[in-house]
Amino acid sequence: MAEPARSRHLPVPARRVAAAAAVVLLAGGVTACGPKDSSADGGAGATPHKGGTLTVLNSEPQTNFDPARLYTSGGGKVPSLVFRTLTTRNRENGAAGAKAVPDLATDTGRPSKNATVWTYTLKDGLKFEDGSPITSADIKYGIERSFAPELSGGAPYLRDWLVGGEKYQGPYKDKSPDGLKSIETPDAKTLVFHLRKPEGEFPLLATQTQFAPVPRKKDTGTKYEEHPVSSGPYKVVKNTGDGEHVVLERNENWSQKTDEERHAYPDTVDVRSGLDSSVINQRLSTGSGADAAAVTTDTNLGPAELAQIGNDKELRKRVGTGHFGYTTYLAFNPKVKPFGNPKVRQAISYAVNRQSVINAAGGSSLAESATTFLPPQKSFGYTPYDPFPAGRTGNPAKAKELLKEAGYKNGLTLTLTHSTAKNFETSPEVATAVQEALAKAGITVKLAGLEDNDYKDKTHSIKDEPGLFIGHWGADWPSGGPFLAPIFDGRQIVKDAYNFNHAQLDDPAVNHEIDEINKLTDLDAAARRWGALDKKIGEKALSVPLFHPVYKRLYGKDVKNIVISDWDGVLDISQVAVK
Amino acid sequence: MWRRLRARPSAVAAAAVLTVLVLLALGAPLLAALEGQDATTYHDALIDSARGGMPTGAYGGISADHWLGVEPGTGRDLFVRLLHGAQISLLVALGATAVQVLTGVTIGLAAGFGSRLLDTVLSRLTDVMVALPMLVLGVALTAVVPAGFPRPLLLIIVIGLLNWGGTARVVRAQTLSLKKLDHVAAARLAGWRPARVARRELLPALAAPVITYAAILVPTNIVAEASLSFLGIGVKPPTASWGQMLSTATTWFRADPLYVLLPAACLFATVLAFTVLGDAVRAALDPRERSRLRVGTRDGSRGTPAAPAGRIPKGAAA
Repeated sequence: MAEPARSRHLPVPARRVAAAAAVVLLAGGVTACGPKDSSADGGAGATPHKGGTLTVLNSEPQTNFDPARLYTSGGGKVPSLVFRTLTTRNRENGAAGAKAVPDLATDTGRPSKNATVWTYTLKDGLKFEDGSPITSADIKYGIERSFAPELSGGAPYLRDWLVGGEKYQGPYKDKSPDGLKSIETPDAKTLVFHLRKPEGEFPLLATQTQFAPVPRKKDTGTKYEEHPVSSGPYKVVKNTGDGEHVVLERNENWSQKTDEERHAYPDTVDVRSGLDSSVINQRLSTGSGADAAAVTTDTNLGPAELAQIGNDKELRKRVGTGHFGYTTYLAFNPKVKPFGNPKVRQAISYAVNRQSVINAAGGSSLAESATTFLPPQKSFGYTPYDPFPAGRTGNPAKAKELLKEAGYKNGLTLTLTHSTAKNFETSPEVATAVQEALAKAGITVKLAGLEDNDYKDKTHSIKDEPGLFIGHWGADWPSGGPFLAPIFDGRQIVKDAYNFNHAQLDDPAVNHEIDEINKLTDLDAAARRWGALDKKIGEKALSVPLFHPVYKRLYGKDVKNIVISDWDGVLDISQVAVK
Repeated sequence: MWRRLRARPSAVAAAAVLTVLVLLALGAPLLAALEGQDATTYHDALIDSARGGMPTGAYGGISADHWLGVEPGTGRDLFVRLLHGAQISLLVALGATAVQVLTGVTIGLAAGFGSRLLDTVLSRLTDVMVALPMLVLGVALTAVVPAGFPRPLLLIIVIGLLNWGGTARVVRAQTLSLKKLDHVAAARLAGWRPARVARRELLPALAAPVITYAAILVPTNIVAEASLSFLGIGVKPPTASWGQMLSTATTWFRADPLYVLLPAACLFATVLAFTVLGDAVRAALDPRERSRLRVGTRDGSRGTPAAPAGRIPKGAAA
């Protein structure tokens, strides 16, 4: 619980942008068909070559370019070009990409029997951009820095998991020679992590940039972000406007031999941000000049843009489709009347018309129907189920029946809280589609649209939480753990800061099962149990899963070697070539 | 005045457009029933979900059932939504204009006719109101009001109370010059209370400038409502307003042009009609209007001031 994970649900830039812009998501079932198409016709010279400049057109600036401060999933997009980490995400299309693989380390970590001690060994020949060797002490120092209050921004897991993590204040305050004692460095190549409790998913956490090496001598505190020392294939040669314009060039001391995951085909990467999403999509579709070799790592196609592209064969080929583990749902707060009554919650589950909701979210190409809280990927432990089967368009008759049993013969009036951000997700369009569907079951829904920040504050505060709101959740890594625990673990109810357990569920059986699964280091076995747990929680009707987004993104006509993994659903910038 | 207005073809056309719009807005329920649709029902079958919710069929899904097609993403009937949008746009614009005129006249009269201190205070207040960025303050105000408050009323109040400065200035200036006229001075010397003087001697003379100014305020207010709704702080969904429709339609201008053009054309026609009518009213009420003085025109020599001015084609006067 620790650090009130304020940003736990907006860690991934992609997600934030999806919300901010006229953009959107999702869908479905057939994973990875997009990427396969695109690599098949990867252009004239199908084999990628080195050289050229890759342009990245983004809406969100790459702020806080410091490995301690970045909140990334699997090491991030642009950050992953500069910062190598102990493990990283597998750079492969579709489901194969949803697992962790070794990066700086020789393997994904060797756990002790109960998964509370994890040991890593570094590869040989690892160097920083200045040619000095990367040692275990550099990685330990990088993690210690992320505990410093002035370098906040990262995920809360390290603080929660490492022994002594809840008290440690970082290397600037704590000058003791050992630093954070739960990270041991017996020699220059070995790291040993001691955890407070069993965590079978530690290798997935080790993909985050906090696990990137930082040389103590080069650390300039909060100024480090201006020139972080690279361990990856590119180094930062220019960073203006706090990440608005970042230029990366080859790091000559990076060796492809030690790095199987990144290709680094282009010589230069030019990241330009602060652009409007419609401008980005327009520039990518026109593709004139440098834009022909451009991609975006944070801007999706919106419904209107998709409709526009529909007729254009050439453009259609340049759309990458990806799936990110993400769910948009109706959240109930059972402490507010009448949502304490399970029959009322079930009635709403039956009444929802997912077809209308999906249309409002951008249509079936951008959203796929959800009946489970877990996203429909194997790595999450997806187990298909629908506790309240109402078909595609809802079952208002069944809903009315349940309302009658609950004592609301003449229907009832509710308030649905949503955000006014135009994100096709928690936005008025989706809320109106829910309103219209519930009306057929005799439920009058009043809409309470809140400005986005206000919406976030209210829906994450135990004191102000509305009875019914549109919520959304994305995973920090593709597994059931970070998807279910923050929402349904009773010990993660946060009283005085951001709380994500919207139903304030504190069920000993659920808590116990979460602890049990965390002990597993066999992630396949763990996934199956997350799926079973999801089903068990789903039957309580604490939320109504609405849809999982599908990412559709354009890329320039000269861009080759498109890889889109299920880890983040976005074309992997470390794989693309422009020649 | 009516005769002079009638004689202007542009005024007649503008009035006709407005009459039609008002009739359409008032007759919305009837016309919706005639078409057999309503403003909120979703038609999932009429849109292509795989293509971003684009209406199926040509021109945004125009059909015998849906006269102007359907809305992308929802399949709601555009004709009925446009009519409901007209209701909101006209209601808010006229309501806000009434508030502005009432406030403006009261403050302007009090400033022009009251003590020097009162004049100073009210005039500075007016200056402040004129200088305030209306939209920014409107955004702030609509954001803090409780969710339950009826939105159209809120919009009327916000737009009305933020934009009366112009009216107040015009009225004050007019009052100052009227004050010096003999009949007003006589009334004051006769010991009439200021309120009576204002009512009996000033208000009738203020009618012309105020009506003219109000006619110009209406289109401004329509645009203000559209702007607030465009920014997502106007009427609440599922209520339609032209500004709200434009706001959701902007990204669709290439895929489904009709969806953008319909509310845009309605807004344009209404604003233009009010502006033209406002101008005509001003001309009709203005005793110094060139066409009435007949200076330098052939008709002028006839010296028949009662002759309908409108017989002179506009071009001839120019």
